[in-house]
Order: sequence, then C-alpha cells, then structure tokens
Amino acid sequence: MEARPVLLLHPPHQEGPEAPAAPIFPRLWRGSRPHHLQPPSAAPSVYHTPFKFLPPSDPRRQAQLSSLLRGSTGLAPTAAPTNSTTPTEREIPALGENHQVPVPKFNVTREQVAEMRALRAADPTKWSVVRLAEKFECSKLFVMICCKASAEHQARERERKEAIKARWGPIRSQAREDRKKRRTLLLRGEL
Amino acid sequence: MKRLRLDRVASQLLAATTSPAARLSRPSSISRSIPQTCRHASLYNTQPCQRRHQSTAASQAPLEEELFLEPQDGEPTPETLRGGPLPSPHPSRAASSAKLAALHARLSLSSKIPVETLARALVDPSADAHPKYNNANLAYVGSTVLHYYASESLIARYPRLPMSILFTAMKGYAGNPALHQVARAWGVESAAAPGEEVDPGLLQFDPMKPTVVMNKWGYVRAETIESQKFKSGKGLSGRVVYGSNPFGESSAAKALPNFEVDDGRNTKTMLLQNAPANAHANFVRAVIGAVHMHCGRDASKNFVKSHFLSRTLDLSNLFEFELPTRELARLCARENFEAPVARLESETGRLSRTPVFVVGIYSGRDKLGEAPGPDLDSARVAASINALKAWYLYSPGQVSVPSDTFAEDAAPWKPAYVDIGEIIS
Amino acid sequence: MTIRALEKISVGQNGIGSFILQCKRLDIHYCDHSGSSRGMNAFIKTHLSKFAQTHPAIEFAVSPRPRKHPVMIGHYINGRQKSICVANMEPSQILKKAELLRDASGDKVKRVNKPVTSVNESVRGIWSPYHGNGMAV
Repeated sequence: MEARPVLLLHPPHQEGPEAPAAPIFPRLWRGSRPHHLQPPSAAPSVYHTPFKFLPPSDPRRQAQLSSLLRGSTGLAPTAAPTNSTTPTEREIPALGENHQVPVPKFNVTREQVAEMRALRAADPTKWSVVRLAEKFECSKLFVMICCKASAEHQARERERKEAIKARWGPIRSQAREDRKKRRTLLLRGEL
Repeated sequence: MKRLRLDRVASQLLAATTSPAARLSRPSSISRSIPQTCRHASLYNTQPCQRRHQSTAASQAPLEEELFLEPQDGEPTPETLRGGPLPSPHPSRAASSAKLAALHARLSLSSKIPVETLARALVDPSADAHPKYNNANLAYVGSTVLHYYASESLIARYPRLPMSILFTAMKGYAGNPALHQVARAWGVESAAAPGEEVDPGLLQFDPMKPTVVMNKWGYVRAETIESQKFKSGKGLSGRVVYGSNPFGESSAAKALPNFEVDDGRNTKTMLLQNAPANAHANFVRAVIGAVHMHCGRDASKNFVKSHFLSRTLDLSNLFEFELPTRELARLCARENFEAPVARLESETGRLSRTPVFVVGIYSGRDKLGEAPGPDLDSARVAASINALKAWYLYSPGQVSVPSDTFAEDAAPWKPAYVDIGEIIS
Repeated sequence: MTIRALEKISVGQNGIGSFILQCKRLDIHYCDHSGSSRGMNAFIKTHLSKFAQTHPAIEFAVSPRPRKHPVMIGHYINGRQKSICVANMEPSQILKKAELLRDASGDKVKRVNKPVTSVNESVRGIWSPYHGNGMAV
C-alpha cells in the first residue's frame, strides 16, 4: 500500500545546519514592528463602527485619529491595516470613467412645467417621460413628479406590458421570479 | 425607583398562603364574584396588568377586582360548605413535593424563597382563577423587572437601534417564545390537566380556559379598539403610542370577546394561539417576580442577567431594508458627511458565469462599508446595507446602565450617549 | 418605515450566565431477594442518602422491582432517558454509574471532532478570498 500524496504548504521540519527558519504560516507580522498584527483576510464585521460613524464623545475616535495622522504622514505606512476603516489615500480605489455625481440643476421654470403637463396630457404616447426629460433637460424622476398620465394611457401601458409578459416562456418567467426572490433575500441580508 | 418600598407595593405577594383556614375560605368557583366585578369594573378598568385572551362571560371575574384584596378569613362561602374540589393543589403540599424541591435547587434559588411561592408560580390563572393562588401578580412583577433590565441594557449598549429593531430585540430576549424556551431549559414539566390532586411541582394550565397576558403598566387607550378595527395605528408611531406591551404590539383588540376575524390569515394573531407558551412564559416571569420580592433588587438583577440577558441574539440579523441606498444618502446628508460613493474594490470573472465584485461605499476618504456580490448593483446594495448596519449597531462598549446607580456606593450617573433618532421613519 | 424587523429568538447556552443540571430525575429500582441486587441494596443503604443530599437538583425515586435486575434510569431535561443495568455490581461501582448519569447531558453520544463549538462569530471572521493580500504560492 503506497502512501497518498500530500500537499505540503510548508517545508517539513529538517534537522541540520542549513534547515530553514520554519516558515510555518504566512507571516503574521510585516515590517520591523512585530506588535502590529496583520488583519485577517475576512470581510469586515458590521459591529466594527467606521471612523466616520463614531460620535465625538467616543474614545475610539481619538485613538483612531492619531493612527490616521501617523499613517498619512508616512511614519509607519506598512503598519496600517489593509482593510481598516480609515485607509490612506493610495488605498482608495479609483472611480469608474463614466462616474458622475448627479447634481440637481433646477433649470425648469414654472411655465415650462405647465407646458410639460400640457404636452403630456395632449399626447402621452408621443411625449413619453423620456422624451420630456430630454426636451426640458431634467431627470425622468422630475418629469414623473410633475406629470401624471391619464387613466386610459396607464391602462393601455399596462395592457401592453401584460401582453409582453404573456409571451414569456416558462424559463424567462422563472428567471424573473427568481430575481425577485434574490432581491428580497438581499434586502434581508440573507444572500 | 431608588426609594421604592417593595413591601408597600406588593406586600400581599409575600404573605405565605399556607394557613388552611385561608385556603378553605377561598371561592372554588369563579362565577361567585361576577356581580361584584361587574359593579366594580368601571373603577378598576385602569388596573395595570391583566387583559384576557379568549375571554368568556365569566372571565373578567376576580382578577382585576381582587388584585390587592385579601379574601376574608373564616368567612365560609357556600362553595366551601359544599366542599367542592380545589382547582389547584393545596399550598401545604408544596413542602412535600420532590419535583418542586428539585426545581428550587436546579435554579439555585435562594433559601429566602419558600417552595410555596414556587408552587404558586406554577399555577396559571387558567388553572386557578383566584388571584391569591395563581401566578398572575408575581408574573406581573416579574415582567416589569425583566422588561426594565432588558430594555435598559439594549438601549445603553446600542443607542442607535431603530424602534422596530428595538421592539423585536426586546421580544427576542423577553417575549413569550424566548421565555417558553427558558422554561423548557429549566426542566419544567406541565400537568396533563390542573386539579387538586396533581403534583405541585408541575406547571398547571388549561388551554381552554381564559388566562392572562402581560401588558405594560397603564391603561389601554379607549381609541385603540377603534383604530384596530379600522386597521390604523399599524405604523411605527402607532405601535409606540397604542402598543400595549413592551414589544409594540397591541393585544387589546385581541382581547375583545367578539372581535371579528376577517379571514383565515388573521386568526393566527387574533386568538391566544399558543397557550402552553403563554403559561410557561408566565411561570418564568413569576419566578423573576418571586426573586425580586423575596431577595430584593440586586438578586433579581443578577437573576435576569444570568438567565436572560446572557442569551445570544445577533442583532445584525434582524434588519430588513427597503431602500438602503437612499437611506444611506439621507444619513450622510443629515450628518454633514460627503455624499456616499460606491467604488469597486476588486473583482473577478467579470465575463464568466459566476463573477464576484467587491464594492466599498466611501464617504470622502472614509470607507463606510463593503460587501461582495454577484453583480455590481447587488454588491452596491449589500455594501450600503452593511454601512447602515454599522451605523445602527454602534455600541459605546460596556457602559453603565441606570440601574447601576441603585447600589449604595454607586458612582454618580454619567449620561449615556443618546442618538437623535432614525434616519427615515 | 424603511426598516422592518425579522423576528428571531435569543439562543441560550447552558453554562453561559447560568448552569442548569441536565439530569432532573433518577429512578432507582432494586429487588429485595435477588442476588444481583445485593450491591444495589447496599448502595441504597450506605451511599444513596449522602448522594441525594449533595444533589438537591435531582429528584430521586426509589422503587422495588421484584425478580428483575436492578436498574438506574436518568431522566433529562431534553426529554430523553438513559438507563443502566447495575446487576452484580459493588456499591462503589454503582456510585460511579450514578455519577455518570448525573453528569450526562441526555443527548445521544456523538463524536466531537472540532475543538470548539460556538454560536459566536469568530473574532477573525470567516476567511474570504477577496480580502487580505493573498498568499504567494
């Protein structure tokens, strides 16, 4: 009976003068300051309150503030925890190229709102929410706040959607159902 | 609370009811005192604790009336002359019950608590309606003690908890289901049916008879019943104002004798569904009440701490959000933080069948929360949920609670951190 | 209300905060005449009263069971029973068995492979492949 192959992650202990200095585990400490424990590779717990959420009266705020200042001045950059709640600047991931913060423009006047409503009431099919938002250079949400389509138009839209849904096969319906369930689980934090 | 004189408040609970004369003079049928209660009902309907589930015509009888009244010794009633059987075992039998002594020792109760009191704690009002022989009064004392310590420890430890989570956490520690589990873990057995002949060490209740559920101190508002009928007052403010127990639930509507049940779905909450759980929970509360009455405040605090607050409940599992991203944005606006921004921390397999994205939520240079997810949007939502939980579950650590100042040589009270309230309510 | 609460019940662990002895009753059966009960009869006469005094949390029930082997049955809080036949045993051996019944939790005997079983989350958290600096292979 032959021995089963074993995956050795660290070299076995050797007797002799040139035996390596037993790297049993990946190094727990880095740098020259061994009293700083490297944080585990784990998702941070929600019970660890981020620095910004600490109230001014909390003593942890002062303690973290000093370490934050030390880390940013580069005195002990390697000692700063990697997934700390107070990262230094180089650790913040970059934003995407097309990231933009929506800034409310407040450019629609009262008269334009009246015109928007008139257009929407006259021909809701032609003047859809998207078209109106493009025309008045505002957000779709703002258009929806301003205008309300007629009941007939809403019923027509609903019918159209029902017809589309009726054409779905079992696979697509099931996928939609599953998506809803996943959403519920996500909001409960159970996913 | 510091100057509360226990002996004045509930001295009748300390009176040992072992004298056979007192026992013999008890009315053995609850129907005897109905006329009196009907007469006094309007006087006593602001009486604190008791509301009945499954009420029948005879149910409201002696409890509310005789809560603080002693039965007249030596005054024979027609029932005692007739010599009917007692509804629960005689208190003098408590001393000879092995089960009762074992239960007393198992809970490591002080010798100051007589076994007769423990025997009384085991008699549910559905088994014996006489308030001097059932556990309703002890259970009411116990429930106030338990809710006080549970709520102060939760609020001092987690000052930012939303109200709904606080209600549910209270229920998780001190609600009927939790207390039922505690009673079962104490090894309490229940009798098949209550009666004079059963062992006093068994829990005695009758699921078919009216019983008592614990409500909070004070009266139930008159408009509660109306608002329950029209399904209003179900919001959180309504639960705070109209809720008649510490968990924000109003049981007044449930106690209506002829409350109509709309559909089958509602029946579950309308009637006292789980009578055994209620009886077990009332027993546990009565034991706390007995400890409080016989051994004092410190002993009851220790008892509550060691048996109830030492249980584990992960508060982060109680949250269910609706719009976490919007709520986080509102939070940052309220607290004058920079608007939250989602950033992609790391990713793998974007073009594969099983991609994973780790998204962090940043406010300025500070990370508020992060989470992995199978697509960018759900990772962002999960990260905002984590950030919100980190806000709500802030804990100042081991802080002192108000009841710590009850001690003789206690340090003066340092105000605890209080949050200004919920983000979107 | 943007936050709804999910109802959960707190979990208790025996020994944290308070300890409840899991053995709640001990039935002791003996026979007056059979030879196999000789040790048990001696145990009842010599050891049992002291044993019962030191364990007030256990309810003891001694009853004869003629023409049968002597038995000890422990009843536990989880509703299970554990019975041991103590035929032909010395009183000291029977005392050992009584202590065994007292110390048992009532659960089925099962193999424990992990050194720690806990309901608390680990301080280091669950290892995640997406965090930390990774390990060079």
